[in-house]
Amino acid sequence: MTKLDHRVKGVDHAAFPTFDPAGTVRFYRDVLGFPVVHSICAVGWGPEDHPDFIHFFFDIGNDDRIAFFYYFGTEPYHQTGRGDAYSAFGPDVPTYFIRSRHLAIHVDGYEDLMEYRRRLDASQWPVEMQIQHETIESIYTHDPNGYMIEITRALRPVTPAEDLDANLTIDALLDVVAEPGPSLAKLLARKAELIVERAAQWELERTGL
Amino acid sequence: MTTLYVLDVPENTALAQVAAEDPAVSVGRIGPYFEITAGGAITIDRRATGCRHAVWYSAVAAVARDSRITQHDKNALRVEPA
Repeated sequence: MTKLDHRVKGVDHAAFPTFDPAGTVRFYRDVLGFPVVHSICAVGWGPEDHPDFIHFFFDIGNDDRIAFFYYFGTEPYHQTGRGDAYSAFGPDVPTYFIRSRHLAIHVDGYEDLMEYRRRLDASQWPVEMQIQHETIESIYTHDPNGYMIEITRALRPVTPAEDLDANLTIDALLDVVAEPGPSLAKLLARKAELIVERAAQWELERTGL
Repeated sequence: MTTLYVLDVPENTALAQVAAEDPAVSVGRIGPYFEITAGGAITIDRRATGCRHAVWYSAVAAVARDSRITQHDKNALRVEPA
């Protein structure tokens, strides 16, 4: 496969709808201290019956931004109690699935993570979980729109070996999902074959030959 | 033969050390991985490794096709000939 050069520069903005702009501004600007950096006030136009709207942005560091759309005169499209302003889920959808989609914002270390924990705990959106994962530690809450927000720090830098392992995992995953009945056991078995296949090349690279 | 691969990162070091305490188990290297092998079953006690759950449940990088995981819970990881 030809190596494609990697030109992108992170998240410009990730956008979400809101029916609660006041809560959204309190949460991101007043509780977390994320500056408002941009907003667009637009009259509805176009072929659809598009309402007038405000598109507003908060700086999440690194010049990356989280953005919201508030549409005047609209009400939430669903009221299931599970999900968020964008999507609703019935009782048949497991919680792990609903939580799988979230935004994680990076901080440099433990002190910064705890600073955001203090800010959230003093608000009406306290931290719901603080978890040490494999190599990161995270706090979680839901914003006023029901979107799950994670703030996370690395427990240590990611090593080149982990990048190599990740690529092996993905190669094995593609092989396994191309067959019927993919499973973790099948993936681990395929990965073992890939490790053995590539070991000779790793040895050449290690010895610099 | 039973073969288990674990990535050599700081979180997994204790797991390889605990595995090596069994005289029937050999711990070698292949690329960036520990290659943990035995003629029969490999059993690793989680508490002996000190691994917290998030690390423990994601520690297995690969398992050879002639081997299979028969236990991977809060107590132990056990891999046996398939």
